[in-house]
Amino acid sequence: MFKTTSKIMLVDDEKDFVEMLSLRLKENEENVIAAYNGQECLDTLEKIQVDVIILDVKMPGMDGIETLKQIKKRHPLVEVILLTGHGTIQSAVEGMKLGAFDFLLKPADFKELTEKLTKAKERRKEQMERIQKAEAAILLRQSKI
Amino acid sequence: MVDQPDVTEDIHILLVDDENDFRQIIAKRLKRRGIEVREADRGEKALQMLEDAPVDVVIMDVKMPGMDGIECLKQIKEKYDLLEVIMLTGHADIHGGVEGIKSGAFDYLSKPIELEHLVRKIKQAFHKIQRILAEKEARAFKEQVQQQMVVAERLVALGTMASGVAHEINNPLAVIQDSAGWLQQILEKPDMQGIPRRDDFNKGLERINKAVKRAGKITQQLLQAVKTQTTEMADPSTFVEVDLKKLSEEAITLVEPEAALKNIVIHLETKEPRLSAWTDSLQLLQVLLNLLSNSIQATEEGGRIIVRLNAAMEEAKIIVKDTGCGISKENISRIFEPFFTTKEADQGTGMGLYVSWGIITGLGGLISVESEVNKGTTFTITLPVKK
Ligand SMILES: Nc1ncnc2c1ncn2[C@@H]1O[C@H](COP(=O)(O)OP(=O)(O)O)[C@@H](O)[C@H]1O
Ligand SMILES: [Mg+2]
Repeated sequence: MFKTTSKIMLVDDEKDFVEMLSLRLKENEENVIAAYNGQECLDTLEKIQVDVIILDVKMPGMDGIETLKQIKKRHPLVEVILLTGHGTIQSAVEGMKLGAFDFLLKPADFKELTEKLTKAKERRKEQMERIQKAEAAILLRQSKI
Repeated sequence: MVDQPDVTEDIHILLVDDENDFRQIIAKRLKRRGIEVREADRGEKALQMLEDAPVDVVIMDVKMPGMDGIECLKQIKEKYDLLEVIMLTGHADIHGGVEGIKSGAFDYLSKPIELEHLVRKIKQAFHKIQRILAEKEARAFKEQVQQQMVVAERLVALGTMASGVAHEINNPLAVIQDSAGWLQQILEKPDMQGIPRRDDFNKGLERINKAVKRAGKITQQLLQAVKTQTTEMADPSTFVEVDLKKLSEEAITLVEPEAALKNIVIHLETKEPRLSAWTDSLQLLQVLLNLLSNSIQATEEGGRIIVRLNAAMEEAKIIVKDTGCGISKENISRIFEPFFTTKEADQGTGMGLYVSWGIITGLGGLISVESEVNKGTTFTITLPVKK
């Protein structure tokens, strides 16, 4: 099976962390871009189509939960995996209610991360395919008329 | 408090008089009242008898051959500060009585003795002793509570600081972990299989991973401990009725393999057929495991550990007692601090008791310790029984 060319966005204010995790994901042939705060994440989403976002909860300025709300409002089909600290488990729960796909405790185990990432990508793909089919059906109906 | 119950059964007295007839008659009559009486015919003998077995009240003649009553009284008061002495003086010997009181006697009676009068005095002296004992206990209790409050304050302050540090450390830890992981990923690539000293790279990276995992575990425990305290009490709506006997058995089963390696036996003792508390069973289990594994580590080959369950009024006590190395005076005030450990780096994190303290406090209970170096250590958990 070949790797799907999904686009992944990493959002965290810690530059070193974003860089290292990107390197690892790229090593696994993932297509990764980075954002260093919530606003940057939202701005990028306006320009580029992203499939899965890995989002840190604890960030200065717009925090992860607020960013998640905005993402879901504008791009409800983008899948989001939250990264939370041990003391902020409540925010993980809140995030799940707001429509996050899943969450991971930081420092996250890479294997666990890639597993969740794979699942998130699959769900995203299914959703997109369903929409495409629906659209195709509409087109078909229109062309018959 | 009804502080003068009319019981004479528990009173032990020593009657000292050289006049045998007089002494024996009084002794007999006192015994009839249910008082435990022993007799001595001389001051020297009285001192000897007290050494063998102390009493509550001494009744003593002032005038005796050899060591007189006043001298004997002085020696008694010097040695036994809780013991009360009633002096018996000859008819109209006011001087002897006054001398006695100056030297610390509870009171004096002049012969001939009226028995009712003597019994009343004995009871008064006994009640004075009990009152002093009660005051002493109250003082000790107050001191203990105050000390626990001081410790608690310090622990909370330390915890706040430590959790801040833990939060900050988590991020660099994640970077270290991913850097090492990245290098490992690269080493796994087909074109990297033949590089020189490949095993050394892998070895170094393995070590980094191991160390990061350990550090991560510590920060995790720390954050968890602080969380259980700062939410003040654990949420009582999640409490269930926990069978303490069953829970203790479970804890013992879990540490038994560790104990077996050192031939240590763990006994569960309880008189209660059933003892339960409204609490959080998982958290309590964690505390028991911490205490037991500390005890196992502190105990020599072939030693014994006892888990005892006691019920009192509205409290349940879980006592973990070992005959291990004990804890020194300077360490005992610090064992509940986060990171305090006397163990090798890979043996202890110093988080066990800190976490336990946080949990028990959060459950509305108390945890305390008593220890003597080379004799052993006893941890006592007190939990409220009711909701
Ligand atoms: N039962 C015990 N007997 C002797 N020392 C003990 C016992 N329990 C705890 N201690 C002392 O308290 C210290 C702190 O214990 P703990 O918080 O559990 O951390 P750790 O076991 O990782 O050292 C121990 O290092 C040890 O010195
Ligand atoms: Mg320990």
